[in-house]
Amino acid sequence: MADQLATNTAVHRTPSRRWRRQMWIGWAFVAPAVLLNVVFDWYPMFDGIYRSFYRWDGYNTAVYVGLENFEKIFNDTIFWTAVANMLFFLVASIVLMIPTIVTSVVLFRIRNMRAQYLYRVLFCIPMVVPWMVIILMWQFMYNPQYGLFNNLIVAVGMEHLTQTWLGDSELVKWCLVFMGFPFVTTNAALIYLGGLKSVSDSVWEAGALDGVGPIQKFWYLELPLITGQFSLNLIGTITAAITGYTTQLILTKGGPGFASMVPGLYMYFSAFKSQKYGYASALGMVMFVMSLVITLLSVRFLQKEEHQS
Amino acid sequence: MNSPLVRSRPPMLAIAEWSKHAFIVLISAALLFPMLLMLVMSLKDKEQIVFEFFAIRPPFHFENYQIAYGFISPFIMNSVWMALWATVVTVTVTALAGYAFGKLEFPGRNVLFWILFAKMMLPGIMNLIPSFTLAWKLGILDTSLPVILFCAGTSQPFWVFVMRTFVAQQPQELFESMRIDGANEWQIFRFLAIPLLRPMLALMSINVFVSVWNDYIWPLVTIQSFEKRPLTVGLAYLTSAHPGDYGMLTAGYVIAALPLLVLFFISMKQFIEGLTAGAIKL
Repeated sequence: MADQLATNTAVHRTPSRRWRRQMWIGWAFVAPAVLLNVVFDWYPMFDGIYRSFYRWDGYNTAVYVGLENFEKIFNDTIFWTAVANMLFFLVASIVLMIPTIVTSVVLFRIRNMRAQYLYRVLFCIPMVVPWMVIILMWQFMYNPQYGLFNNLIVAVGMEHLTQTWLGDSELVKWCLVFMGFPFVTTNAALIYLGGLKSVSDSVWEAGALDGVGPIQKFWYLELPLITGQFSLNLIGTITAAITGYTTQLILTKGGPGFASMVPGLYMYFSAFKSQKYGYASALGMVMFVMSLVITLLSVRFLQKEEHQS
Repeated sequence: MNSPLVRSRPPMLAIAEWSKHAFIVLISAALLFPMLLMLVMSLKDKEQIVFEFFAIRPPFHFENYQIAYGFISPFIMNSVWMALWATVVTVTVTALAGYAFGKLEFPGRNVLFWILFAKMMLPGIMNLIPSFTLAWKLGILDTSLPVILFCAGTSQPFWVFVMRTFVAQQPQELFESMRIDGANEWQIFRFLAIPLLRPMLALMSINVFVSVWNDYIWPLVTIQSFEKRPLTVGLAYLTSAHPGDYGMLTAGYVIAALPLLVLFFISMKQFIEGLTAGAIKL
């Protein structure tokens, strides 16, 4: 890289002392960030692409196998089960972005600023409670023996309706989706609120004067204001749904059977349980491409919508 | 709600206003419910959880906290240590780079910036396994270095981007006048850029700290020694090692949640302002 940058300076053709000093100072300032990023972020990505063409157990020498890993993935029934489950979670998480938007708009429309501030503080609390604690609390609530839900069902006298929840292959996916209840991502809600607040009050007063109803106000005034934040959140949501697996790893290990298996978890198990690093890297690459393509498509779609309106 | 303005409104409007409050209060209650349940359960023993799940009555078992603290205090120290170092390293390199990309002229500036920016747009799922083998080759497995270094490598692009934009927006004369007074680039960075960037550095610190604090999979695969593991891994382990002992476990969850809650209430103003006042303009 040094050579390439050296030719860059030659092009500038200002070999004065001052310029050269400037150059070294600039590089010194950005070098730590760029080096850390190249070594610990870029390099692993390319290494992963490279390894996805190899069979490697982590100990013996890696064997080049061409596209064999990808062929295997294509014929792997577990992988396709995982993809189907992942699509279920993907659709659920996109639909469940709506409550957050509605909540942020309602919060924005509260005119009492002190109350609004108080609600914002309340909304921050779920963000600072460790995520692991929330997941483990849901695990407790779903616990068939000690948990909240079965206790509730017994308390209202419908014992025959008690469930094994996360242990039930029919229910497990719904249980994992329901963990988001009340489906409000508070940091996203506060970011939307920031977008809504970015417009001066006069716009809103004008809207009120024209007798715009609350629903119209939502569609024509508030929603357009947060499209930027929304697209960014959408990309995050899609990427998280396609590649995420922490919850499944902690709560279900993909089970019962493969009922809650997702591709990310399958990749994790392939690498760290079955020591198939090459196969796992190939799985990673398939997910990488999937999330990139779906993200690009949805961003395209959003931009088109914006142009039309 | 008691201002005369609201009271003088027609009743329909007052109802609309109250229903908004009711909606937000209900949402907040649902959001905070797991935390409330956690507090209630943490004072019960096994029998109370099995036989009187919903009752809140003595005896309260405060010793749950003592037992849980014994289990998880080493994990908390590990997490604090890791998160602090990761935050210090990441914020330092980000501030340096953000300032330079925003205000300094040097060859290759755009290329180097794009290297950071492009990776931010790409999903990180490919990285787990090769990152693990890289950490292995570097011989840093079973230390907190993988967490610190990979955090610094992967989480800064976004913040470099944010800080570059912010620094570039500051008036050029500010920097020029210091330069004319004979300050060198380091002094300008240290005594002008850092104070200017303060609110953003605070927001970034909180974000990086929280993300390392919450990290589960990466420390799980890179740290094998039980006594070196962070809080998230420790809590998951504790839960599977003590099935059904939910009084002690929930007490442990409460203790685990406390450090960040305290940090939050100390830095609440910056945290909330930063989130909503458009520190992250899109």
